Amino acid sequence: MKILIADDEALSRRLLEKTLERAGYEVVAVENGRLAVEQLSRPDGPRLALLDWVMPELDGPGVCRAVRGRQDLQEQAYVYMVLLTSKESKKDIVTGLESGADDYLTKPFNVDELKARLRTGERILLLEGRLVEAREMMRFKATHDALTSIWNRAVIMDLLARELVRSNRESVCTIMLLGDVDHFKLINDTHGHPVGDEVLQEIARRLLLSVRSYDFVGRYGGEEFLLVLNNCNPEFAAARAEEVRKVVSSRPIQTAAGALQVTMSFGLLLSKDWGVRPVEELLYEVDAALYAAKAAGRNSVRMALPKLPSTELPVHTGEAVHPLR
Amino acid sequence: MEKVQKYSQHFRIDMPELLNRVDNDRELVHDLLTIFKVEFPRHLQALHDAVASKDMTQTRVVSHTLKGMLSNLSITGAAAAAGRLEQLAHDGAKESLQDAFTAFELQVQGLLPEMETHMAEVRR
Repeated sequence: MKILIADDEALSRRLLEKTLERAGYEVVAVENGRLAVEQLSRPDGPRLALLDWVMPELDGPGVCRAVRGRQDLQEQAYVYMVLLTSKESKKDIVTGLESGADDYLTKPFNVDELKARLRTGERILLLEGRLVEAREMMRFKATHDALTSIWNRAVIMDLLARELVRSNRESVCTIMLLGDVDHFKLINDTHGHPVGDEVLQEIARRLLLSVRSYDFVGRYGGEEFLLVLNNCNPEFAAARAEEVRKVVSSRPIQTAAGALQVTMSFGLLLSKDWGVRPVEELLYEVDAALYAAKAAGRNSVRMALPKLPSTELPVHTGEAVHPLR
Repeated sequence: MEKVQKYSQHFRIDMPELLNRVDNDRELVHDLLTIFKVEFPRHLQALHDAVASKDMTQTRVVSHTLKGMLSNLSITGAAAAAGRLEQLAHDGAKESLQDAFTAFELQVQGLLPEMETHMAEVRR
């Protein structure tokens, strides 16, 4: 494990360095508090630190405060900090611990005590690592669809709302693509739900591959997927929608029941055509366009366009973006 | 403790204690003594200057450093004298500073030649 030693005194630094190397640590040694903060702020920096109290530029408690301040702001990994001090008064100890230090050790240190206290630190870091892992797992589960691992409905709706606000503010165009797997019920009824699940998983994978890394793909409903493509050129919107449709239908999906030819229908909506509208209204419109694509024979894309401005009511036109097959 | 070599009692460095603390790593002790030989005269001069000019902050900082160095080498008497200087500087006791410095100088007198002896011992 990597450990930082911060001590301005060369003899003490050498003693600690050798002692800790012998104990199996990978040692990083610096001679002042500023360099200590720099090391501890690195993403791959040490997570265990032995800090001398009195140091030039920034003292040990100052390092503790700086590191804790950054951790609070940036959700950085926890750093376990031990202050090395010859100060033994209760007041000094309280000051040290209140600065954010986890422990302190009086100089000259006893090697066995030093190792034991560092092992305590390692145990706490291990526990923290497990907690972070569990939190990340929970965060993932709370934001992703359990079957397909793409964004779940709540998150994709949130992302959509944010992108619409941003596109209005920056006068750019966001594309909404709402897709539905054609005849999905038939797949489930014929081959069973596990095969239906395989189909949904593969479709999610293909949809993700069909968009840019900064676009969003989420599971909107049972077999419905919502794609949010941000900062798009409206001129190419129809072509992009067609590419996405073809990514799904271009080749059969391999399942436990064999290769299945699956297609999707899509509703397409360009934010710049609609101006500032509630998200629910735009979803209603793109859903209507999807319905039109289904009605037109499926495996197709229909664009949602506002009706004449004089009516003030957006009415889906179901404009075809390619000839019906 | 058997592996720790016996040293004469008149030395100010408690070498058995030091060797015991570093797990009898003689090479490390040699390194530490070498560092001390280089660093100590510089710090001693800085302390002398700080005391002469009654610079309490500098006296406190340098005596603290010396206390740490001396403690790490188990030179307990001199470390205590440095600690006394640090405390006086902290308390702003200017009038007692010179006497305390003289007492410290007595403690560290002849320390460097003693280092040479120890360095030769640990090299064997």
